Amino acid sequence: MAGATIDHLVSVIIFLAATLLFISFFNQTIQTAVIYQQHRAVATKCSDLLDTMLLTPNNATIRTWTAFGLQDPEFTQYTLSPFSLMRLNSSTGTPVYYEKTGMTYSNTTVGLGNFLFMPLSDVVNYSSALRVLGINSTYGFQLTLTPVVTFNITEVEVQHSPLSLSISVSGVGFPFANAPVNYRLMPISLNGTYPNYLTIPNQTGTVYTDAAGSVLVPFQNFTPNENLTYAFVAYAHVGGLTGVGFYAPPSGNQRVVPFVDSLLTQKVILAHSYDVPNTSVGLPDNLAYNATFVFLNEDFNFQEMPLANSTGNVTSSAGYPFGAITIPSYNPGILVIAYGNGATGGVVMMPWGLGSLAFPVTFGGNPAEQEWAATDMRQVLINGVAYQAKLSLWSYKGVQVIG
Amino acid sequence: MMRTVEILIVVIILTGAFIIASSFAVLPWPRQVSPVNLRRLALTTLQTLDSNHELSKAAFGTDNGTLWSDLQVALSASLPPNVIYNLTVYNVSSSSGSGVALYTNLASISNAESLGASSDASSYFVASSNVTFDVIPEKIGEHGGGTLYILNCSDANGWWITGYTAHSLADDLYKMLSPYFVKTVMVQNTAQLEKILNGTALQGETVQNAVIINTYGEAVPMPAAYNSTGYYVYAPNKGSYNQYFYLLGQKTRQFNWTWASIVGYPMYYVSNTGLFPTDQNDWGIYGMKSVGSAGFNAFLRGLSQIDYNAPWWNGTQWLPAWWQDSKGNWIYDHGSITSELTSVPLSADAIYYANYYGIYPAAYQTATRALPTWINSTYNLTVTTSLFDPVNNYRAGAVYRNAISGGFLALGLTRTPDIRLTVLGLLCDYKPRLYRSEYTAYGTSRLVVLQLGLVGGV
Repeated sequence: MAGATIDHLVSVIIFLAATLLFISFFNQTIQTAVIYQQHRAVATKCSDLLDTMLLTPNNATIRTWTAFGLQDPEFTQYTLSPFSLMRLNSSTGTPVYYEKTGMTYSNTTVGLGNFLFMPLSDVVNYSSALRVLGINSTYGFQLTLTPVVTFNITEVEVQHSPLSLSISVSGVGFPFANAPVNYRLMPISLNGTYPNYLTIPNQTGTVYTDAAGSVLVPFQNFTPNENLTYAFVAYAHVGGLTGVGFYAPPSGNQRVVPFVDSLLTQKVILAHSYDVPNTSVGLPDNLAYNATFVFLNEDFNFQEMPLANSTGNVTSSAGYPFGAITIPSYNPGILVIAYGNGATGGVVMMPWGLGSLAFPVTFGGNPAEQEWAATDMRQVLINGVAYQAKLSLWSYKGVQVIG
Repeated sequence: MMRTVEILIVVIILTGAFIIASSFAVLPWPRQVSPVNLRRLALTTLQTLDSNHELSKAAFGTDNGTLWSDLQVALSASLPPNVIYNLTVYNVSSSSGSGVALYTNLASISNAESLGASSDASSYFVASSNVTFDVIPEKIGEHGGGTLYILNCSDANGWWITGYTAHSLADDLYKMLSPYFVKTVMVQNTAQLEKILNGTALQGETVQNAVIINTYGEAVPMPAAYNSTGYYVYAPNKGSYNQYFYLLGQKTRQFNWTWASIVGYPMYYVSNTGLFPTDQNDWGIYGMKSVGSAGFNAFLRGLSQIDYNAPWWNGTQWLPAWWQDSKGNWIYDHGSITSELTSVPLSADAIYYANYYGIYPAAYQTATRALPTWINSTYNLTVTTSLFDPVNNYRAGAVYRNAISGGFLALGLTRTPDIRLTVLGLLCDYKPRLYRSEYTAYGTSRLVVLQLGLVGGV
């Protein structure tokens, strides 16, 4: 009798233990499969959402967007509006405050001397994008647009010799070999009341990269010095792929800082760097400037468009107003501003339309802070320049990864 | 004991069930759970490569090594390093009789021997240049001249171009007209304008026989050099700068130019923001001085080589060049010569060429500065193109040419300007031919398939 009871107890214990163990095993398998399915649903949503963003046209000049769309309304397929992209609040650059306007600006600046500051009141922020996309509190995302073709331009250092620029062009996965590179050098004299754009022989031309994507561009007629500076812009194109590169030599501490005042009025404010963010309390420092606008024609030739009131002065410290110019066109191009004051001088460039200087932009949240994010990508065109659009998407539905 | 054995048998069965269930419930690889959408990536890559029809050229030039080398460079450069590809071009033809499409493999490029376990593909049809609608215009002045100057001076202001700036108009004119000219030059400031007035080329172009479009409406940019009192005689009234327009007429004749005035009364103001920073045109536009009707009268005299100070016949008597009316106002030559026409229709010629060039402005316009027909005989002019039918002996828009040399397009329409009319007027006059590509249906399509695969990772 006792033996049968013990046998019964042992068998029940083993049975319960085995049942619990196998329930746990099956549960883990099923849960993992469910999570995989949910991840797959996020990945599918990511692909759909990326297409929604890239294929929805929008008017860049309408202040409040009722739909989050980046497609250029004048084109079809994956051609994005360079001006809609200017309105994305960059999530990588720290916003910049400018006391003289009392406004804070979204910062898509690339390196020193190449600025894109948009007023926060004019840009689309992440929370409103989530709302108009209908994914508020359910999903988060980060949209990144990076140019496919990248340039590395450096001066070949030979003092007091004619300027020679070394250009290296590469794609995402391969050098840009044997590609024609159309370039334009903009020599600038810093002598005189205002900087002056000079005309020299062979300031525009075409060269071809070698198998490694490199090429040297010499300018025999131009030797930069403290009174002569320059800006350089180049376009490389091969097999339907186009990229943009630019270069301006580094300058001193003082510079002109352009802020877009409004896309609608096409007005750009010019500030003295000493007044950014807060108005300088030191002695006034003056910079004379001369601005011009350059854009690329369909045949890859550069066209220069003069600006009204292109020359002026910006002075730091209180009591001195900022400068202002109006860009006369909604054609994407490059605003080039030469400045100087006898002691120092240089050039700053600002893209009018995101693709014209191949600025990258990152918009949205941070996927690195998320447990799991799906990623998808597309090839897009912005003002004829090839970009890669990458979307990272994550879910806020509380999915936990186990196992 | 027996029960324990039974339970152990149950455990064995459960273990077996778990093993069997697990063998069927194979979980996918992470790459399969969250894949990059290779199909969309392939499609967008093909679209990007074909944005300038480069892919089409390569697909129809499979024996052109350079094109295919460029295509391979572009493909490799545009795809991430962990994406491998195979691009194949198929010829699409139809079998005789059944009409079924046949696909023939023509060429292929790849950067890997195999595309791995998971890959996806997109296909894209490209059309040959034989079916791509393309138009190549004949260049105006291919055998002499052929320069289009667009005044785009940063140091001048416009009038009667309400809603636009001269720069935006210049930009649009450049886009519309530059394909028709051998060389198009934007005149960026009045210093450059002075150069071409002196016959000096700005970018190696031919100055002779050029077309000059004034985008400043009723105002004309004036170089600072023509402000010199020692060289240019000042007239008694506000029309003092009409000497500049007399010179423009002379230069138009000398270089056989065609001067285009896009709107309003031609040459009514001179503009130079540096010269006249505190002067305005009576309507609040600074950097400008009013010349009045004397400007265009002086231009006509310069164009027709009539002496600036020559007397003129008013129908009853000879009057001096400058004279005073009954109110004591100083008038030059005929004074104001334009008239107002409320509705003027496009001429039959203009409608024909509107269809030919694909430019469609409104068929009826309002002209408030129409020119009289008598100027033809007075200034030895011939109307070579009439954009509008004359109404009551006035023309709202026409191209006039002097019997010897030089001419002008005057659009006496009310503001705001429609530059399509300027473009249409010039094209009607020069009549450059359009060489349209031929449409053929045979062998015109090729299928491009781009297959992408992923390497590395799981």
